[in-house]
Amino acid sequence: MTSLGSSSSSSTEYTVRVPKNTSKKYNIMAFNAGDRVNCSTWTQARMERDMSARRIYGEEESAEGAAGSEFGKKQREEARRKKFGIVTREFKVEDQPWILKVNGKAGKRFKGLKKGGVTENASYYIFTQCPDGAFEAFPVHGWYNFTPQAKHRTLTAEEAEEEWGRRNKVVNHFSIMLQRRLREQERGCEDDEDENEKSGKKKKKGGGRGGDLRIHDLEDDLEMSSDDSDSSMGDDGESKTKTKKDTGKGKAKKKKRKSSDKEALEDSDDGDYEGLEVDYMSDESSSDEEPEKGKPSKAEEHPKGIDEASESEEESEEEKQNEEETKEEEEEEEGKKTPVQVEKKKKKDSSGESESSDDSDIEGGTASALFMKKRTPPKRGGRGSAGSSRTGSRPGTPSIDSATTSNTLRAAASKLEQGKRQTQGPSTDSPAAKRLKMEPSTQSPAPSGKSTPQPPSGKSTPSSSDVQLTEEAVRRYLIRKPMTTKDLLKKFQTKRTGLSSEQTVNVLAQILKRLNPERKNVNDKMHFYLTE
Amino acid sequence: MSDKTAVNLTGVKESKGVWLVKVPKYLSQQWDKAADKGEVGKITIGKKQGKTEVRFSLNEELTARGAVGETDASLQVPRDHPFTMHTVGGQTMAVFSQSEADEISLEGMVVHRAECRPVVNDNYMKLKKLQLKESTKPQRLSQQLERAVTTIFKPVANHDFNLEHERKKKSEGKMVRVERQLVLDMLFSAFEKHQYYNIKDLVDITKQPVTYLKEIMRDIGMYNSKGAHKSTWELKPEYRHYQSAEEEEMQTA
Repeated sequence: MTSLGSSSSSSTEYTVRVPKNTSKKYNIMAFNAGDRVNCSTWTQARMERDMSARRIYGEEESAEGAAGSEFGKKQREEARRKKFGIVTREFKVEDQPWILKVNGKAGKRFKGLKKGGVTENASYYIFTQCPDGAFEAFPVHGWYNFTPQAKHRTLTAEEAEEEWGRRNKVVNHFSIMLQRRLREQERGCEDDEDENEKSGKKKKKGGGRGGDLRIHDLEDDLEMSSDDSDSSMGDDGESKTKTKKDTGKGKAKKKKRKSSDKEALEDSDDGDYEGLEVDYMSDESSSDEEPEKGKPSKAEEHPKGIDEASESEEESEEEKQNEEETKEEEEEEEGKKTPVQVEKKKKKDSSGESESSDDSDIEGGTASALFMKKRTPPKRGGRGSAGSSRTGSRPGTPSIDSATTSNTLRAAASKLEQGKRQTQGPSTDSPAAKRLKMEPSTQSPAPSGKSTPQPPSGKSTPSSSDVQLTEEAVRRYLIRKPMTTKDLLKKFQTKRTGLSSEQTVNVLAQILKRLNPERKNVNDKMHFYLTE
Repeated sequence: MSDKTAVNLTGVKESKGVWLVKVPKYLSQQWDKAADKGEVGKITIGKKQGKTEVRFSLNEELTARGAVGETDASLQVPRDHPFTMHTVGGQTMAVFSQSEADEISLEGMVVHRAECRPVVNDNYMKLKKLQLKESTKPQRLSQQLERAVTTIFKPVANHDFNLEHERKKKSEGKMVRVERQLVLDMLFSAFEKHQYYNIKDLVDITKQPVTYLKEIMRDIGMYNSKGAHKSTWELKPEYRHYQSAEEEEMQTA
């Protein structure tokens, strides 16, 4: 094509023709050099206009015919637009982008956008050489820049922002798209269990790779994680891949990055946790109240009782939620009582009276964490189990624990009941009457029927869920763990025992005198305990 | 327009190389004036001191700026135009053509880019000056009138429009009430075409007085005071039977 002159200094002449027949319109198809497009390798190509903008421009009304249409609507709309000076740009087919598909379905795709202003100030001509040696010049009608279109999945804007927020923590970038695909699958087939299994399997495989990603989520559990699924998957992933190397690497890298993470955390909103109410930050609260008590000076325990009463009201809200849960598992009557006991136990635990301060710290810490997550009650296994383990208050403990603890508590309650009836038969008639109002069904036959001495170890009989202030009960508590008088009082709340606070105080004092428990000072507080 | 046109790839297969040449506007204008055969000039490609030189010289008859055939001495388009050649470095360019029947074919690949430059001489400068003057002229112009316009806004006893209106009224007369059944037929056929009508439009269609028409409409239709089709009348549900598009049947009471 670029034919030069035959000799070094001579030149050749060619005539230039500009054909007049304008049947064909010539356009330029421009590619980027970086894309390395070689047109000669194309076996087949298809090209069409991209008409997707038409519906945006068109704004066609839905009903052209009778139903839903108005007489003269078009004219009215037009008049209205003119009045407001709304100028709608016309949809010109000429200006629409091209879509070029090369080598069929599996081949490349290109989008060609028209470049404006090409023919305004200068004209472009295409010079081709004809077989007779003359040049023919065709004017260029339009210029289109063609760019390859990505076939792989890309993140949407929201997802991209999400990932950007996690950029400091994410080490494995390959898993980002994998997770996205899994998420899509889950959303797509929710009731398809096969899919879930598949994704579960994939989690195992991908958990190794996504494991280090997930660990970050767990450690930043206070951070607002938009994907709950991620965190749940994270739990699984973590447990499954604990032994794998990747997680080790991930953890190490995570630790290295702790400082940067902290910086990242600081970037997040400060005021997020301001308004949250945190309950029972362990030791401090009880230490304030302890000096007031000192010895079991009952007179001063009045305000204490009332305080506890007010505290119990706070608890009752929590109780109600627990009640809703436990109603499914237990019978209703017991359901009312055992969560109360459980609550009390929990409060007792979390208020810091314990052998090891670590436990209480954990309690307090987890309690605060729990309450930070506000009302996620279903997961909250707020059941301090009757046994020695304090694990009940950790989130994620299944509520099955509650059932077992409640069984033992039920037994304890029943023991109390019988014990009380043995020792305080006639004197508790009035409180019994009060209690009758609360639980009429079981109580009425009980006092009379059970006045015959029964062994206190009758665990099988379901009893009323009252908490009786008996020596037996106190003894049991003190055997189990050292308690302060305040704690004991909490156990026998005035509402439940039917006694007034004065009475409770007096009775408790008597019982303690009778029992004569041993004393121990823990954290500057007087604890009573018994050894059996 | 979902038909995909298969691109004719013969041009590319044969590796036809083309030149993309940028030509000044005035030159292209002159080329447009060319005769039917289309010959506009000559290209000379030569080698001078080892460099390839390409020159274009415009045909004699096309140098005049006026109509073809005149040799306006005052202004002449320069004849000599050397081409500056570039290679296509950063871009792969292909040429595709679109015929009137929407057939797309790939004509070839661009192998060289060129710019057609005129030789700068006095003549060219004069030409450019003229062009500049033309382009800087504003498109809109304010003129001062010598005398005020007195033909419009004269006070009139009765405006033309009003006169016409009265005449129309007199000729057509008041709208006469016709048989109720006839009106109903008219209305139903109208509602076959559109669902919602303004009362004014109905009056226009049926040529009935408003009160009479309203009475009838109250009988068979209902008024939309709110919603998308505000202040329009439509038939009552029992009277209408709209299907999604074309055919409907109206049922009379």
